[in-house]
Amino acid sequence: MPDNERPSPVRGLSRRDFLKYSSFLAALIGAGPLGATKVAEAIEAATKFPIVVWSDFQECLGCTIALLQATAPTPAQLILQQISLAYNEAAMAPAGFDAEKSFNQAFDQGAYWVIEGSIPEKIPGSIAIGGKYAGDIAKEFYPKAKGVIAIGSCACFGNVQAHVPNPTGAMGVGAWLRGPGGIPNAQVVNLPRCPGHGDDLVATLIYIIVMGKLPDLDHAGRPLFLYGQTIHDTCERRAHFEAGEFVEQFGDEGSQKRWCFYKVGCKGPATYAPCAINRWNGRTSWCIHAGPCTGCSEDNFWNDFSPLREPLPNIPVPAIQGVSAQNIGLGLAAVTGVGLAAHLVGQTVSGRLFKGGPNGNGESHPQAEKKDGDQK
Amino acid sequence: MTKVVIDPITRIEGHLRITVEVENGKVKDAWNTCTLFRGFEIFMENIDPRDTWHYAQRICGVCPNPHALNSATAAERAMGVATVPDNARLVRNMLDATQLGYDSILWFYILNAFDYVNVPDILNAKTTDPELMAIQAQVKAQATSGEVNFLSNHYWGHPGYVLSPEANLTLTAHYLQAIDAQQAANQACAVIAGKFPMIMTMAAGGITQLPNEPDVNYYLDRMGIVKEFTENVMWPDLLAVAGAYPELATFGKGVGNFLTWGLLDEKGQLPENRLFPRGGIFGGQLKVEKVDPAEARLYTQHSYYEDDMGKGQKPFDVGQKAIKFDGYPPIDGPDFPTGKYDWTRAARYPSPAGKDVPMEVGPLAEILVAYVSGQKDVVKYVDEVLAAIGMTGKPEVLVSNLGRVAARVVKARINCDYAAQWGMDLLANIKAGDTTCFTEPNLMAEGEGISGYDAPRGALSHYCRVKGGKTVKYAAVPASNWNLAPRDDMGVRGPVEEALVGTPVADPTQPLEILRTVHTFDP
Ligand code: SF4
Ligand code: SF4
Repeated sequence: MPDNERPSPVRGLSRRDFLKYSSFLAALIGAGPLGATKVAEAIEAATKFPIVVWSDFQECLGCTIALLQATAPTPAQLILQQISLAYNEAAMAPAGFDAEKSFNQAFDQGAYWVIEGSIPEKIPGSIAIGGKYAGDIAKEFYPKAKGVIAIGSCACFGNVQAHVPNPTGAMGVGAWLRGPGGIPNAQVVNLPRCPGHGDDLVATLIYIIVMGKLPDLDHAGRPLFLYGQTIHDTCERRAHFEAGEFVEQFGDEGSQKRWCFYKVGCKGPATYAPCAINRWNGRTSWCIHAGPCTGCSEDNFWNDFSPLREPLPNIPVPAIQGVSAQNIGLGLAAVTGVGLAAHLVGQTVSGRLFKGGPNGNGESHPQAEKKDGDQK
Repeated sequence: MTKVVIDPITRIEGHLRITVEVENGKVKDAWNTCTLFRGFEIFMENIDPRDTWHYAQRICGVCPNPHALNSATAAERAMGVATVPDNARLVRNMLDATQLGYDSILWFYILNAFDYVNVPDILNAKTTDPELMAIQAQVKAQATSGEVNFLSNHYWGHPGYVLSPEANLTLTAHYLQAIDAQQAANQACAVIAGKFPMIMTMAAGGITQLPNEPDVNYYLDRMGIVKEFTENVMWPDLLAVAGAYPELATFGKGVGNFLTWGLLDEKGQLPENRLFPRGGIFGGQLKVEKVDPAEARLYTQHSYYEDDMGKGQKPFDVGQKAIKFDGYPPIDGPDFPTGKYDWTRAARYPSPAGKDVPMEVGPLAEILVAYVSGQKDVVKYVDEVLAAIGMTGKPEVLVSNLGRVAARVVKARINCDYAAQWGMDLLANIKAGDTTCFTEPNLMAEGEGISGYDAPRGALSHYCRVKGGKTVKYAAVPASNWNLAPRDDMGVRGPVEEALVGTPVADPTQPLEILRTVHTFDP
């Protein structure tokens, strides 16, 4: 029987569409052309829906809303055809004790755990669900989860609420778990950006399910297949950067011509994320289509990159031959600034920004020597 | 007397516990407890005032746009920019239109529908439509897989579900369509602002860049899809649900005071001259009073802060952000909350009689103020709803759960009617040679700025004081501080607490009606 006459293992998809879908997923997770077969086989072999629990800790729900914008697959395909979304406070029908029941049942049945939002270490009671504090929930259920994925910069690094003076002591889930009284060597895959990107989550889940292991991670716990390149490496305005064509003030002629945002504060050169590649909202757009990058996928970016309106210091602007055009005294953390400047000088000279390509190794990562993505 | 605690309240933004006392099948008393705190007002002190909007939009990932807008406006006013170029106004309106379109769809279907639509019951529906059959098959596959999913463990057997299996199936299909429709609204946002949630094109002083013609055309195309959905799917669904659940009009009355700062600026950018005008209604009287966000008051006797965070002071005058958290009230046991029980501060407004009173905010407040002010679109749509449920000439029935549900949809329709116009106006301005969209604020200014502009769930105001290139005081009073206020220092309940009183509870182990009342506030 030819392939396309067999029923599709994914409900609602034709056999042909299923195979197309498998190669798309394989490309997304960097599994290559052979991987497509492997992806298809793995999905066919799965007799049950993978169970996913989505928890909300200190968050704004933006990551959940971003998941609703996912297109690969769409949320409807995801929750009806791909997974059993056992627990998600924004979408689930039950509330209160009945919701808690779903939570417990899911872990008993073997669940992957996605966490949105940070864990407060200074005021543990600043986030509670059913009367239980987030940290206690994390510690109790980490050992029961098949894998833990932190979605969005809050769950990865604490994000905005960790900005000085960090009133609640907000931390990333992994850092909190590995901290005092937690679970030594706890492993959490970080998918930072603010919000976290729904397509990244789907790709990572598929990767874990299909490959049966966690993807290779960088120093900040981010999968290299997604976070191997800087925004600047892949930016559509890069030619203007090289040509020394800059937006000098919002709304000026340069901005209408969509020149480079570096001088009005773009943090693209210091930021590792696939935004330019998988873009946002069904690939409609991405940040730099509209304004300067804030560096939201980097640990501690609010503190390190502030003021967001000012340019990153010590970045050699090509048109001015390596002279730092905007060498104004900013409070950028030295570790980022210095390492980054050296990195960029090298790249400018060689005319290439990134040697490893999209699935490159950690070596080309300027911050690779920075130890772990944990809280300072 | 029975104590019922629901924690977490699901299908909302944020973290909420509701505690009620049920007596003779009705709620006798109620307490709401927000169980999340992050400390925005603390870490937003001492930052670059040009950046506040980046921080502020992370207050709420469901409604980041109005936070960004209020924050940028408060900061630019503090730095001496009184109004932004007209193109910036148009783009801000366009972004708010996408926010309102998406948010209304999200609320009506994803957060609210399961209170009225019995999803497992669709398996009993008779249909020959292949698309509907496919949905049935998918839900069946989930239901019979033996694995727990997002529909499991709910009170589907509750007698409060009255729709036919076929109606349930149609509405479930619309639920799935709604996911696509809200995506379209957010794609319209993204093409102008980079992405949604968390936009990139706001700036203190205007916007970062003027959209170009292809951007605007894409925006118009996407918002066309949203308009069609609100008109042809959401509107009839509202009328169907309102017709099937007449008891919606009979409870959830609330505090009877309504407040809106208004939203969607007209040319000239005067707060009293908005598409949805600014105003207050007190004591249920159909008369609109002038209101001013500078006059909001905060109380903290029942909130997890020291008293100098409240005591009836204005947002700029409250003291240090001293936290006084000593645990949540017990879930088990007979005790009801006393003392401090909420992370939310109680916002109050001085009534014409000079008393600080709780105010309900949100679409119902906006629609009532606009209706009483004679806003013609509002009158047209509200009358249509009233006629459809046989209540012509009785706008007072809207002061109920029904009114809150209907007002969201009315607001969404008016918003979608205008979105295209703002896009066309922007293109016309650009064609006429006006490309200004940004005024550089004076970073070194010393001053104060206040912005009051409603978010989808209601009145939102930001307060920013700057000196020497830094914020020296930052405050935000979001809709939660009004609607989800705990009791104030005088012991008066907040609007959600008050609206819960009198809500019938058929079975305290399945408190579906409580969810319905709470959800009408879109907490
Ligand atoms: S990462 Fe951003 S969008 Fe996600 S919860 Fe945190 S602040 Fe919200
Ligand atoms: S500085 Fe920013 S806008 Fe300019 S090329 Fe780099 S990433 Fe793109």
